[in-house]
Amino acid sequence: MQILINGFLQGILFGAVGVAFALVYRTTKVFYIALGGVYALAPYFLLSALEFDVPLVVGIMLALALSMLISILAEETIHWPFERKRSPTEVHLIGSLGFYLVLVQVIALVWGNEIKVLKPGGDTTWELFGVILVKAQLFGPLLALSAVLLLFIWLTRANRGLELRALADNPILVALLGRNIRALRRWVFGLSGALVAVVALGQAWDVGFDPHVGLNTVLLGMVAMIIGGSTTFVGPLIGGILLGILRSQVVWYGSARWEDAATFVLLALFLFLRPQGIFGRKQRLEEAG
Amino acid sequence: MNYLFHLLVYFEIYAIVALSLNLLIGYGGLLQIAHAAYYGVGAYAATLLWLNAGLGFFPGLLAGAATAALLSLLVSLPAWRFKGDYFVMISIAVQTLLYTVMYNWTSVTNGAFGISGIPRPELFGYNFVTTGSVSVLFAGIALVLAFILAILKWSPFGRALQAMRDDELAARSIGIPVEWLKLQAFAIASAMVGVAGGMYASYISYIDATSFSLDESILMLSMVIIGGTGNVRGPLVGAAVLILLPELLRFLALPDAVAANVRLLAYGLLLIIMMHVRPQGLAGTYRYQ
Repeated sequence: MQILINGFLQGILFGAVGVAFALVYRTTKVFYIALGGVYALAPYFLLSALEFDVPLVVGIMLALALSMLISILAEETIHWPFERKRSPTEVHLIGSLGFYLVLVQVIALVWGNEIKVLKPGGDTTWELFGVILVKAQLFGPLLALSAVLLLFIWLTRANRGLELRALADNPILVALLGRNIRALRRWVFGLSGALVAVVALGQAWDVGFDPHVGLNTVLLGMVAMIIGGSTTFVGPLIGGILLGILRSQVVWYGSARWEDAATFVLLALFLFLRPQGIFGRKQRLEEAG
Repeated sequence: MNYLFHLLVYFEIYAIVALSLNLLIGYGGLLQIAHAAYYGVGAYAATLLWLNAGLGFFPGLLAGAATAALLSLLVSLPAWRFKGDYFVMISIAVQTLLYTVMYNWTSVTNGAFGISGIPRPELFGYNFVTTGSVSVLFAGIALVLAFILAILKWSPFGRALQAMRDDELAARSIGIPVEWLKLQAFAIASAMVGVAGGMYASYISYIDATSFSLDESILMLSMVIIGGTGNVRGPLVGAAVLILLPELLRFLALPDAVAANVRLLAYGLLLIIMMHVRPQGLAGTYRYQ
């Protein structure tokens, strides 16, 4: 039970990253690896803010806002120019990879390579039906989950959100109907960056952080998206939770060293047997781009 | 002088790496990310055979190449079905899988401690002990492999591969066996990078899994993208640039801890800049469209 809950909580985090990734991938077809850089960067903003004796809440707001800006910067400097040239997805991917490298190395140069922590010392634990939970461990996933839920509500209720979903379905039609694609894309990248920053802050509070945590997390987010299905926004969340549970089982019954192997075996199984994911609609490969 | 020979040896190894990766990326349009894993497979297979089975230098290299070619089925079979982003995902998955095996299969690969005491090349009773002599031997190997790859470009095989890259459906419709072609291309490229891995192992005389990680794959990818794809001189330029760049940075007299980060930062920036202004790379002919 304990393992199941741990895996579930971990899975929510993967799921939230998956949602952030899918937000960009569905609407713009960009394979947004640089999201890993934004993920790695967010805790450092908070760290520096706290060093200047900024109150915690303000620091968090600041970190979220800056992560959003960095993510929008990726769109402005890389993906929008490529989109205008109608570059193929490979070019977007390589550009994004370049941006990721730059972000991570800038972090390492400014803040150093070593592992850092935000939390001072110990933590309170709760016991609930025989399951022991650490406060920080519960806090991060809850925060991430509420952020994702807020995003879902926004996507289904607000005008902007509806426009974003329209963009995911048919970008050319959205442009023809007179919507500002460019502004919409900025929203997409900004929100994706903010969401991933929420997850990053929660995780940093719990287990600490270093400049290289991002890529692995985003890879897991991608896996979550593919397992859950990239044609809905709920899919990645469910996929992430499944992935988290699987990984925790592997750690319990096998060894932590085989976590990643198990993850990618699961991915391969899904790609072969159900490439559209759990919630996916069947598409032709050509249609999926 | 020894220092120059050392650079030359590195250039020869990376030239093979870049040229073989170019066979996939430049001729085949297949964005392979697992290349470092196959480099590692070749290195480990050759090393184990040298140390445990007492094989000679060339038989060991060839056995390493054969192992890498066999394992290339892990990426080439999925490549039948997946293109673009999903293929990239698959190759990242294979990279992670192979890396995990190399890192964790302690009884064979000695895990994180690596294998040391790998003998220098030996041929007809002559031991290549000095760096200079190794560089001559490796130059021979590199030239032979480069020659094969140069011929391949103009061969029916290379033409078919390029036709497949430009339009897979059209290539299929004129009777080009696309699946078989992908199988061959991955096998050849992996075998060649496997040879390079064996050369690396015997030159450094020590290997561990961290030399074959995802980061290393990204480095190899940058090498080919920056140098240029689709011809023979592009990857050579890429290998030269990526070997000389750290040496040039050395003249800036940066502290050691910072130098590695600055180097990666430069690669990232170069990737972005290349994608913006010269998508075909410094000396390449092919660009994604």
